[in-house]
Formats: sequence, structure tokens, C-alpha cells
Amino acid sequence: MALAAVPSALLARRVGPGRAASMGLAIFAGAGLACGLSEELSTLIVARCVQALGGALAVTAALELLPASVGSERRAATIWAAAGATGAALGPAVGGFFTELVSWQSIFLLQVPVALAAAVPILAVAKHEAATGVIEPELRRTGRPHLWANLALAMVSAAIMAALFLLVLLLIEGWRLSPIEAALVVSAMPLAAIVGGKLADFVPDARSRAAAGAILVSGGLAGLAFLPKATILLTLPPQVLVGVGLSLVLSALTETALGGRAPQAIHGGWTISSRHAGVVIGLLALTPIFTADIEQQRRDAIDAGTAVILDSTVNPLLKLDVAEKVSGQLEGERGKVPVIDPAFEPLPEDPAERAEVAQLQSELQDQLDRGATHAFSTSFLLAALLGLIALFPIALARRVDL
Amino acid sequence: MSGESRLGGRLLIVGSILASVLLVGAYLAAGGSTYEPEQVQDPCQPREWSDPQSLAQLANQFTNSALDGAACELGVSREALARALATEEGRERFRERYGIDDERLTKAIRAGLLRAVDDAEEAGALSPILATPLRATLQQIPLDQLIEIVNDAEGLLGDVDSFLGPAADLLEEFLP
Repeated sequence: MALAAVPSALLARRVGPGRAASMGLAIFAGAGLACGLSEELSTLIVARCVQALGGALAVTAALELLPASVGSERRAATIWAAAGATGAALGPAVGGFFTELVSWQSIFLLQVPVALAAAVPILAVAKHEAATGVIEPELRRTGRPHLWANLALAMVSAAIMAALFLLVLLLIEGWRLSPIEAALVVSAMPLAAIVGGKLADFVPDARSRAAAGAILVSGGLAGLAFLPKATILLTLPPQVLVGVGLSLVLSALTETALGGRAPQAIHGGWTISSRHAGVVIGLLALTPIFTADIEQQRRDAIDAGTAVILDSTVNPLLKLDVAEKVSGQLEGERGKVPVIDPAFEPLPEDPAERAEVAQLQSELQDQLDRGATHAFSTSFLLAALLGLIALFPIALARRVDL
Repeated sequence: MSGESRLGGRLLIVGSILASVLLVGAYLAAGGSTYEPEQVQDPCQPREWSDPQSLAQLANQFTNSALDGAACELGVSREALARALATEEGRERFRERYGIDDERLTKAIRAGLLRAVDDAEEAGALSPILATPLRATLQQIPLDQLIEIVNDAEGLLGDVDSFLGPAADLLEEFLP
């Protein structure tokens, strides 16, 4: 997507936005079908790449089509930017629901009718373009992209990727929530993004909104880095900050990058390119860090958990039995936070021993929760730092009143 | 840009800073910076012995001392060694991970058990009359039995007490 966005926008300008959008949506739907039916990873990757080409073509062409529907380029840019921000926030939650309720393939299969339905109203425009075949030559001239706004978009997108991707990973792999439970938890972000969108209406200054958004995203990420307990409730305030922040910053920076620039599709293409490049760079930079941290924390948690068992006052023979079972569980699930509940079943019948073993189980679980949560801290903190660094290009971005 | 718009923008930025600082401050105050697994103790450092109230408690402390001593000898954590001794598969993984053969493991566990006897004696939890034959026994037995002792110290201490306890009591009565 990062590589395809600008060439797609150029193509959209050449063949006409109606034709480009319908073509893009058809490619997107076809590739989505291939993704949903793929049985091998290699097929899925190829289909996803094709889908990115179709998506890039449709999204950039949409920016050229929007002014005719909404009345002005300014309004079109605002709606297009807001749609992008909402989509980014909504993706993980919707994906989680469908993954658990139906299957991961259903996410792609669902895209087929949605994309085809979106193509239907555009077909009339495409037919008109095909009949007239007129693309005004002066519209092909392209101004330089807004460097600072696009740079800030890339940095902020890398930070937001951490919030969306790492939080889901923490909930599912670290705290062992099911995909649907994780989706429910991260729904807080798109809900907050809607609030952020409303807040933007009261502040016309795009640079202030971008700065406030970057600060909120960083604050939320720092909150996730310093979670004081492995409790879902405590993820909600940071998610609210990230949700409001991402809605403010993504839309404000996109508007700034598009403001006063023509043609819109090309500059829209640059913003998509920057956002996706940011996501890729964020993944490349943070993945090795959190992968190493997860392994280190897993080892520390297992050691701390073993210490809890060794130091407990539970009857040594009972302890030995528990230790053997826990050891098997801990070593068996390499790369994952182990489930320890089966090691404690059945609980002893004697009430005093039962209470002691329950206490031991709770302390052991606490150590594992600590390890799982702490494993993500450095990555969240680095992402927060990236969000704060984005304030520099935001400060340098030329003031554009929209 | 109008003054009102500028003020709105500034208020939004200040509000964002406040919200972020409040959240991070509250999480740090609630222990967010120290929410991580507890660090395990260095096995070469002495572990404090409390006055055991039962044979089970004595066995627990004895086991911990033995594991500490052996782990210190091998340069691994007490916890890693305990997991290795819990199951045969654990022992195999331990051998692979740390490159420690059975001969070295036997030597270390023996040293650990001897340290446990010393610690128990020093803490007054084990009579010197029981400690001496126990040391002699530990010098002779093979690896599997040594591991069994670490895993079931209560059995060993119980046996020693039942076999030698009455004799020790008798001797202690006559000794100055």
C-alpha cells in the first residue's frame, strides 16, 4: 500500500477517478475473495498485495470523486481524512469479532460484497468518463508533497500501530483473552475516536489538533507502558486517549497535507503512502524489541513463579506434585504465557491446604501476569516517544486554515 | 486565523498535556514502573533460616538450602535447578540448555545437600549428632537418590529423626 498509493493516484488521474475507483474496488473484491479462499500463506500474501493495489486505486480515486458529492474540495478532504482515521481505529475491533464469531477468512470474504456495493454508484461516473474520455491536461500537473505533514503522519502512524497491534497482542497472547474479548476491549478506541472527531469540529486550527492528537496518542501509549496491574479496566483510559488522539492527529495532518494542493488524489496518495510506510517502519523497529522482551519476561516470570512455589508453606509433598505439573505447563508452552490452572486441579480436599494452594496459584498467576504485561512496556514507551518526536514536524508544518 | 480559534487550539493542547500527565502520573503512583516479575535471589547469598515449627517446615528450608548450594556450584538460579529436578524431561532440557553433565550435576547436588546440613546445623534446626551421619550418608549415594532427597527432604529428615533421634536424645543427655 505504501508503494502503490502514489502510482495508483497517478493512474486514477490518467484514466479518470470513476473508472479507477470501480477498477480498484473490483480488484479489491477479487483479491479479497482470493484471500478468504487461500489455504497457503504464500497465496494469502500474494492476494493481500493485489488487494493493496486495488485498495490504493479506490481510495485515492475516491478523493477525486468526493468533491462532486459533498460540494467542495475542502469538505471532501475533511471527510476523507476522518474516514481514514475511523477506519484505522475500527479495524482491530471488527477483525477480532469476525475472527472469533466466524473465522479469519470471513474478514476477507465480507469485504467482497462491501467493495462491490461501493462500486455500484460509481459505475455511472465510470461510464460517463468512458463515453467522454476527457481528462483535462492541466490537472495532470502535480505540486510537491507536504514534507512535514507527511513525515509527521508516518511517525504518528508508527506510534498508533503500536497501540492497535501491540495492545491486541498483549490481550490475546499475554492475558489470554479470546479474539472476541480482545475486540470488545479495543472497541474503546474507535468509540473514543468518534468523540475525537466531534472535538475537531470546535478547533479549526489543524496544527493545534495535530499537536494535541500526537500528545494524546503518546500519553495513552505511555499509560499502556506503565500499567500497574494486568486488568482490562486499566487499559481503558489509555485507549480513550489514543482513540481521541488518533482521530485528531490523523485527520488534521491529512487535511494539512492536502490543504491548498492539487491534484488531491496525488497528495492523498502521499498521505496513504506515509501512513503505511510509518506502520511498516514501526513494525520493523518494534517487533524485534518486543519479541526479545517477551522471551526475557517469560523466563523471568517462570523463575519468579518457581520461587513462589519453592518459598510457599504448602505441604512439601503437595508442593512437589504441583511443581511437577506446573513445570510441565511452563516448559511446554514455548513462546507463550502458560496457562497454569490445570496444574492446580484437583484442589486438595482439606480446607486449610485448599486455601494455601489457592493462594499459591494466585501468586504464581500474578508473576506470569507481571511478566506478560511488562514484556510490552519498552515497545509502548518507544512508540510513545515516536509520537512525541512527531511534534517537531508538526511544529514545522506550514499553518493551513481549513 | 481568528483569536478564538487560536485560543481553542491552545486549550486543546493544554488539555491533552494535562490528561496525559494525569494518566501517566496516576499509573506510576499505582506502581506501574515496578509491575514486573520479582527478581530471584542469588543462590550464592545465604538464605535466612526461620525457626521451623514442624518437620515439614524444616524439610522446606532444607530443600531450599540444598537447591541454593547446588545452584551456586553450577552457576544457575535455584529456580532453574528446581525445575530441572522436578521431572526427567526437565533434567534433559537443563542438560541441553546449560551443557551440564550428570557427573557435574551429582557433585553440585551433593555439595548443595551438604550445605543444607551445615545451614540447618548452624541455625540450630538439626542436632550435630544427627548432622554427622547425615553428611557421611550424603557423600555416598548416587544421583537419582540425591534428587529424590532434594524432592522429598521431609522423608529423609523424618527417617534420620526416627532412626537416630532417640539415640541423639540419649547422647545429648550425657554430653556436656
